[in-house]
Amino acid sequence: MDPQKTILVVDDASLVRLYYRTALEGAGFHVVEAMNGLEALEKLLILPVHLLVVDINMPHMDGLTFLEAVRRKNRELASIPALVTSTESAAADFAAARAAGANYYLVKPIDQAKLVQFAGMLCGVPR
Amino acid sequence: MVFGEAKRYYVERRVLERMSATGSGTFASYFTRLRTDAQGEIEQFVNAFTVNETYFYREDHQLKCLTTDLLTERIRQKRKGDAVRIWCAPCSTGEEPYSVAMWLLENWPLVDEYEIEIIGSDIDTAVLEIARAGIYGKRALMRLAPHLIEKYFAPLGAENWQIVDDLRTSVQFSAANIVELAQTRPYGQFDVIFCRNVLIYFDDASRRVAAENLFENLLPGGFICLGHTESMSRISPLFEVRRFADAIVYQRPAAGST
Amino acid sequence: MPLVRKPTGQSPQPPADASSVLGNLVSERTDDRWAAARAAADLPDATTALAAALRNETDARVREAMFTSLARIATRESADALIEFLRSDNANLRAGALDALRIMIGGMRELVPQLLSDRDVDIRILSCELARDLPGPEATTLLCTLLADEQDGNVCAAAIDVLAEVGGPAALPFLAECAQRFRDSPFLGFAIKTATDRINSQHTASRA
Repeated sequence: MDPQKTILVVDDASLVRLYYRTALEGAGFHVVEAMNGLEALEKLLILPVHLLVVDINMPHMDGLTFLEAVRRKNRELASIPALVTSTESAAADFAAARAAGANYYLVKPIDQAKLVQFAGMLCGVPR
Repeated sequence: MVFGEAKRYYVERRVLERMSATGSGTFASYFTRLRTDAQGEIEQFVNAFTVNETYFYREDHQLKCLTTDLLTERIRQKRKGDAVRIWCAPCSTGEEPYSVAMWLLENWPLVDEYEIEIIGSDIDTAVLEIARAGIYGKRALMRLAPHLIEKYFAPLGAENWQIVDDLRTSVQFSAANIVELAQTRPYGQFDVIFCRNVLIYFDDASRRVAAENLFENLLPGGFICLGHTESMSRISPLFEVRRFADAIVYQRPAAGST
Repeated sequence: MPLVRKPTGQSPQPPADASSVLGNLVSERTDDRWAAARAAADLPDATTALAAALRNETDARVREAMFTSLARIATRESADALIEFLRSDNANLRAGALDALRIMIGGMRELVPQLLSDRDVDIRILSCELARDLPGPEATTLLCTLLADEQDGNVCAAAIDVLAEVGGPAALPFLAECAQRFRDSPFLGFAIKTATDRINSQHTASRA
């Protein structure tokens, strides 16, 4: 059986997670959710993840702090591609996300087709 | 267990919690998981409904983790004869700290090489009295193998068993409210803290303060175990999460690490 | 028997004196700063010192303890200090401030409408979260008031996410109107439909 591509969606808004899940599952990805950076770190311990979709503003641990923590982990976790999402669109925000370890940055609200397109680009297209 | 219509919300909440915890997007997929008892889901499901029940060797996967992994790490920096301190807070009627003691005596090959201090604390002084008396009924003993009951309990009348004196007098029970720093700080620092199924009853502010208090009560590198359905991810970023074969636990970072 | 029983040190701690607490907020030793941060919760006048120390604090755990103390002080002044951190460029400080405000907002509910009408889009977005812990009818009223005039799609999205969880039927016309105003936004259309369905199903269930 083909191993599925698993995407970890990290956002404290349940409707956002549902919106992304709908699009990504429709495209054949397996989706796991976390509502903040701490929960996301726990999920990373439990199952293999091929892409992180991470919002910035979340309770208990924001997305950039989470990403920095991931990039300090073992090689396997540290190299998971990460797509950061945010309502902010200033150059300084892109730079901060890059510095934290983001591979790409999308400004919210995010278009479902675009999300699927970039997910495929960053972690490969599921069968 | 039977729930009337009035308990619909209670039941729904617990089902939703299990669905969320297992990543089941639909009830149908969760129900399949339950029916096939995937990854012991039946026990998880029952536990979610019986959080208040206490008995010996409850959630013994954490006890297994204690001897297999947690203490192994803790003793790396210790010499023979050094103290190993374990705190059960809350301890309720004592099943948990006595379980820890029994488990160590039965399952830890190095049990004689360290000075093991086990303390049980609770805000409720009535349950502490019960714990000190160490008298339990059949239900509390239901997960213990007969040879353990034989070894660590003496029958008391037809319905009860009492923990043998040796064991009973080696566990300390004292009152503490984990939300009050003035009450927790005097206990000093522990290698392992069990804090199971109590934080869920606190409001957000108290939960956060309790987490900070318990952080202080851990030695650097010490571990805290929550109830199986609980997570620090909704409470506090102070701890690192560690995954072991038998349990997910939280750790105070070792001295000198970020 | 390797199990030993020792008397626990139950001696009461002497209360920390204010000036040493404030001084230790900027100590070189992390443990001192941690202890001082926690002790500051009992000193209502420590707000300014806490906020100043927070701005420069590099240890994440000490920051957490400082935010907790600001929340526990629970004065208008400490709330204002936290609101200032909501405006920070640093995501970590924003998150810490919001967590702290969440646990103290129950005693200071008049702040919520004020924050929901802040000039800053980001403050309005974050403040929708504060409405989540208010009683359903109150949260519904506040968020619908916001929705009626809100021009920013992300603010509406934040409000709708909260309404989907705690909103009542009174929210339905406001959601419908919002859907009209933002009919070019697929996400908002999805969010409003989901929120509407949830409110309707809860309302129906409670009548059954």
